[in-house]
Amino acid sequence: MIKTSTQNELIQYVYDELAKNASEQLETAFMHDEELAESCSELLQIQNLLDNALKSPHKRAVQNILNYSKSLSLQS
Amino acid sequence: MNTTTQVSDSALVSLYIAGNENAFEQLVNRHKNKVYTTILLIVKDTYTAEDLMQDAFIKAIHTMKSGRYNEEGKFSSWICRIAHNLAIDFFRKEKRSPMITLEDGSNVFNTMAFAEDSAEQLQVKEDTHARLRELIQTLPQSQREVLMMRHYADMSFQEIADATGVSINTALGRMRYALINLRKKMLNSNIAYDKNLYSE
Repeated sequence: MIKTSTQNELIQYVYDELAKNASEQLETAFMHDEELAESCSELLQIQNLLDNALKSPHKRAVQNILNYSKSLSLQS
Repeated sequence: MNTTTQVSDSALVSLYIAGNENAFEQLVNRHKNKVYTTILLIVKDTYTAEDLMQDAFIKAIHTMKSGRYNEEGKFSSWICRIAHNLAIDFFRKEKRSPMITLEDGSNVFNTMAFAEDSAEQLQVKEDTHARLRELIQTLPQSQREVLMMRHYADMSFQEIADATGVSINTALGRMRYALINLRKKMLNSNIAYDKNLYSE
């Protein structure tokens, strides 16, 4: 059973918010705690899925933004 | 070699404020997908999401051009916060709840391009991503909020804790449950869940 504090550290670790010393301790723990290493792996997998689930807007919408900015520059 | 990708958001903002439109184009291209997805996950309509994305960037343009941009914090967090607030305001004005019944998103969402994949693999990926976006909507609001703020709006857990009025441990716990719940829902939906399939 992974402690709640360690689970929170795992979340900070996969989002690169854990302090260097704590990260190193966690990485050492992965070597001899299979459950902890598996939990980290699962978090990284779902994180990867979330990254790839990003959607792109149509080019037209992006061009509208750029055109608006340029029109403001021309006015000033 | 394209060295422009090394320029920080902060530097691009400074260049833009100084009148460099190319810097702004880079900022938009760098963050448009996160801004758009942040909105789309709330409003669930591509046309509305594109309108609100434009509104978010226009608001950002006015703030930067008028010298009111706060150098503290990250541009990505700032622009996604604007987007998030506009999406929530949209629902308040429409007097609708963002927690509406889900539909199959296959006709709503655009097709994602992965040139190196076969048509079948593309379809599997798109189905998975569309289903994942649906599953995000089914999370409890507090979990979904933290997930979107951290993963798409790029806010730190401390920033999320401050913004939502909870401790950092609560924010971390909500994120943990959000990710665990999403994974369970993916598995329960018999969705392909192969890390090799989704690695870039």
